[in-house]
Amino acid sequence: MTENATRRFIEDYEARREVLPGVDGWLSRHREGAIRDFAGVGLPHRRLEEWKYTDLGRVLEKAGIEPAPLLEGAVLLPESRSAAVFETIDRHVLVFVNGRYRADLSKAARLPKGVEIHSLGDVLHEQWAKDLVERRFDEKRQAESIVDLNTALMSDGACLRVRKGVKLDKPLHLFFFSADAGASHCRNLVLLEDEAEATILETHLGEKASLADLVLDISLGVGARLNHIKLQDEAESSVHIATMRARLAAQARLSSFTLTLGCGTSRGQSFVLFAGEGAEANIDGAYALKGAQHLDQFCVIDHAVPSCNSHTLFKGVLDGESEGVFQGKVIVRPHAQKTDGRQMTHALLLSRDASMNAKPELEIYADDVQCAHGSTVGELSKDALFYLQSRGIPEAEARRLLVLAFLDEALDLAPHDEARESLRRLVSDWFAEADI
Amino acid sequence: MSMLEIKNLHVNVAGKEILKGIDLSIAAGEVHAIMGPNGSGKSTLSYVLAGRGGYEVTEGSIRFKGKDLLEMSVDERAAAGVFLAFQYPLEIPGVTTMTFLKTALNAQRKARGEEELDAVRFLKLVREKAKPLNVTDDMLKRALNVGYSGGEKKRAEVLQMSLLEPSLAVLDETDSGLDIDALKTVAEGVNALRSPERSMIVITHYQRLLDYIVPDVVHVLSQGRIVKTGGKELALELEKSGYAEYGADAA
Amino acid sequence: MAAVKETVETVREAEKYKYGFFTDIESEKAPLGLTEDTVRFISAKKDEPEWLLQWRLDAFRRWLTMTEPTWAKVSYPPIDFQDAYYYAAPKQKVQPKSLDEVDPKLLETYEKLGIPLTEQKMLAGVAVDAVFDSVSVVTTFKEKLAEAGVIFCPMSEAVKNHPELVKKYLGSVVPTSDNFYATLNSAVFSEGSFVYIPESVRCPMELSTYFRINEKQTGQFERTLIIADKGSYVSYLEGCTAPQRDENQLHAAVVELVALEDAEIKYSTVQNWFPGDEEGKGGVYNFVTKRGDCRGANSKISWTQVETGSAITWKYPSCILRGDNSRGEFYSIAISNGHQQVDSGTKMIHLGRNTTSRIISKGISAGKSSNTYRGLVSVHRKAENVRNFTQCDSLLIGDKCSAHTVPYIETKNPTAILEHEATTSKISDDQLFYCMQRGIGEEEAVALIVNGFCRDVLQQLPMEFAVEAQKLVGISLEGSVG
Repeated sequence: MTENATRRFIEDYEARREVLPGVDGWLSRHREGAIRDFAGVGLPHRRLEEWKYTDLGRVLEKAGIEPAPLLEGAVLLPESRSAAVFETIDRHVLVFVNGRYRADLSKAARLPKGVEIHSLGDVLHEQWAKDLVERRFDEKRQAESIVDLNTALMSDGACLRVRKGVKLDKPLHLFFFSADAGASHCRNLVLLEDEAEATILETHLGEKASLADLVLDISLGVGARLNHIKLQDEAESSVHIATMRARLAAQARLSSFTLTLGCGTSRGQSFVLFAGEGAEANIDGAYALKGAQHLDQFCVIDHAVPSCNSHTLFKGVLDGESEGVFQGKVIVRPHAQKTDGRQMTHALLLSRDASMNAKPELEIYADDVQCAHGSTVGELSKDALFYLQSRGIPEAEARRLLVLAFLDEALDLAPHDEARESLRRLVSDWFAEADI
Repeated sequence: MSMLEIKNLHVNVAGKEILKGIDLSIAAGEVHAIMGPNGSGKSTLSYVLAGRGGYEVTEGSIRFKGKDLLEMSVDERAAAGVFLAFQYPLEIPGVTTMTFLKTALNAQRKARGEEELDAVRFLKLVREKAKPLNVTDDMLKRALNVGYSGGEKKRAEVLQMSLLEPSLAVLDETDSGLDIDALKTVAEGVNALRSPERSMIVITHYQRLLDYIVPDVVHVLSQGRIVKTGGKELALELEKSGYAEYGADAA
Repeated sequence: MAAVKETVETVREAEKYKYGFFTDIESEKAPLGLTEDTVRFISAKKDEPEWLLQWRLDAFRRWLTMTEPTWAKVSYPPIDFQDAYYYAAPKQKVQPKSLDEVDPKLLETYEKLGIPLTEQKMLAGVAVDAVFDSVSVVTTFKEKLAEAGVIFCPMSEAVKNHPELVKKYLGSVVPTSDNFYATLNSAVFSEGSFVYIPESVRCPMELSTYFRINEKQTGQFERTLIIADKGSYVSYLEGCTAPQRDENQLHAAVVELVALEDAEIKYSTVQNWFPGDEEGKGGVYNFVTKRGDCRGANSKISWTQVETGSAITWKYPSCILRGDNSRGEFYSIAISNGHQQVDSGTKMIHLGRNTTSRIISKGISAGKSSNTYRGLVSVHRKAENVRNFTQCDSLLIGDKCSAHTVPYIETKNPTAILEHEATTSKISDDQLFYCMQRGIGEEEAVALIVNGFCRDVLQQLPMEFAVEAQKLVGISLEGSVG
């Protein structure tokens, strides 16, 4: 079954390899290697430990994996609250429709000196892009096989490079909209050189049975700072597979926050590699699932050097028949002393048929470290509900209040003040309309 | 007879010289107070006496009851009679205070070639020593210093001192974090242990403690040196004028 | 703490592994290797009925089609299952009827191990079944137990005297097809203890089995079956040692527990198989399947284990919480030093309503060892109001060892409340300094702090075992500091 979908992807590659960007350079060889590696492992299935709770092969068997149509004419962007959530923020906007950059819909004002933003095809000849794309993060490659797929098929994407000591003046907003059924393969590259700073906002909207395949490759130089916020609100028939891979040099800081308010089957992977001492990574998120939605958060933090801090908190509420998954791993390599690694995941089940699976792992090879993980699953406290009701608050309202309070701890971690407040309002409105 | 004889003591911590030539002589039965501003080297002196790692003696000597203290390991010093009441007593989860006291007492007795105490005699002894310090049975059953209030921790330190009967007790900022009532209880406990065979070093930033534990000699430590030595009235002077004249903030 | 002090003394006096002696006693073995004939040989030696032989052969044929599991975080060279003896028995002309007939050399062995089998010397209130290689050599206090209606005997005897019970329960918790090692055990199990506690009986004393691998190149495959009938209670202790050997010895036991309505089983293990020498040579491969079935409502099964020995430990004592309101507990101390590899944990499968479970795991790694906690808490759709609390703490001593935590938490029912916490820490220099300033030597201070770290679990052990376990903690960590 899985073989079939795997084969279709390989056929798609065979058919399009001459028209994919970078055909004349290093990338075409690299794509060859990637598709070979992907073919070797195939689409992930539940017999692989790292895909224990998500059968991507089976899901994609049913989904359309042919490329989504290339839209060139007028496109009506959605007018939902999610689409508008970052609108009040002064920002640069790059819009991608069906996985293709649309200059006509984008507005990137004059950029400060030392900041470059390109589409993928324009940077493929540059060494830094090659360096980012060729990296490996996953020893077993079970989780990275979907990155191989993306490498083979990537067609477009946003590439940000900020030179040493430069600060991107306002957030860069990447707006992805799948208007039609079909697959889009985007690769986004972010290079912040030493002491550079930037904030990136991502919005992912999909209205049809679409497959969004994304990889975000990040490299942070010494003392660089990247804030990253991602909002995902896609149709229940969609499939979303996204991998963030970040390498942090000494003293660098990455703060990444993901809010998922709608998805079909979604797998979000984060790989963080500490390559220099004194760096810090915060990989956090919140989600609210309903219907038959399935969200799998997979997060590996690799403390390869001493004295780095990592913090992960994912909180979510699950209604309907939805399924939540959190798989996390903190690795502390030999000699990575003075590591501080925290990983927490908390879920509330709101309905009879919702389910949650968590697997927070620690893998520790150094003794002078502080690592902890925690996981809780439960339902809304009946006592708290009763208390609120006894004060005259109707049950539905009381439930909403408690759910919002639960999610608030995670929302607090969104690393941009205005964006955080917008997301908070969005979540509050979402629950006001949702029948939970 | 001299209990403690420190001569020209120089100590480095992480390559930086903290003590720059300390001379100090304490006779049996005497109580010496060491006062000084933060960062003057007070705690360093107490740790060097107890033998904590990371304190490098670059010059000078310490003789304790005629023996070279610097040659001895931490537990040997303890068995020989050096006791340090910690400013921040350590928490040892899962090990009850009672178990800890018994292990320590019997380890020291054994090291000195004395007979170990059995459970019954030990229990009787602890209860007798614990009572005047308001250390309850409940506290003794809890894990050492885990969840103790600031006052409870300091009382437990004095209880250990009373039980282990050291020849030289070093009290490092025993007054920190205590309200006046807790301070009185602790001071009474310490005073009860004063004897012609026992010497004490009371390290403190404030004069307040010395109202209750009255010293025979007061030293002012500043920037790694003893800059002034006098009687108990020196503490009162310092209370008024602060440490400014000794080249440090009174912080 | 007297025990800690004693520990330190023991460390100084004893050899590295004080149970490492070998008893020179004539023995009878099955031919080297494993074929259907070996299975038939064992069954014939035990004079077993045809149904059991067929049961074994079924398992053997299934085993031939299986492969060794590789998911655990342990590594070892391939095991040649044909290069081992699957049955060894001390040569005795007839089965001893009483202690007087037991070979004095055997009694001496147990004496040396600190397990006196002569009843007058026994700790009051503990009945012992001693298993030497593949056979039970003696079971004490049989008569007293019989008065209460308790059956406590070697498995081979139970097959003869209580076939209806064995037939009903054997393989009902760990089926012959369960996993590679359990299936192997089903084919070749040689001895083990059988316990049956009748309805409403509170077993009048602790029951204990002491396992000893003596023969060279010999695998030990014991099978233990404990049935607690309605409203009964039993506390069972298991201890293990083996001589020091250069080659690895295989131990693949199966333990099945069945608790019927309102029954309670408390199962404690102090596992101290030979861990291998300083270079990591030799030692026992401990691949054990232990599972309890809380079959009746309000039943309770509690596992407590102190794992200090074995070169490799692969062991997950689990509870199937089938009966409503049933409770499962897992308390574990796993200490690894030298080149030891531990992959251990538990599974709590919540099937019934209002079922609760509690997992407390304390892993201590020292030397060059690797120590993994692997656990599953699973809540099925119809299991209402499940509660689980899990705490996994790791302590690392030195920077050449490793500690891993791999918990799986799965729920399909919203009324469940599952809590999982894990921490990793080390013995701080400040804690050591504090203890030593009070006159406690370094090794004793480490033993004291580690015993404190393990306290929640040590408290679960029956008194007689707790003292032994505390000593073991100190001994196992010898040479880990400094």
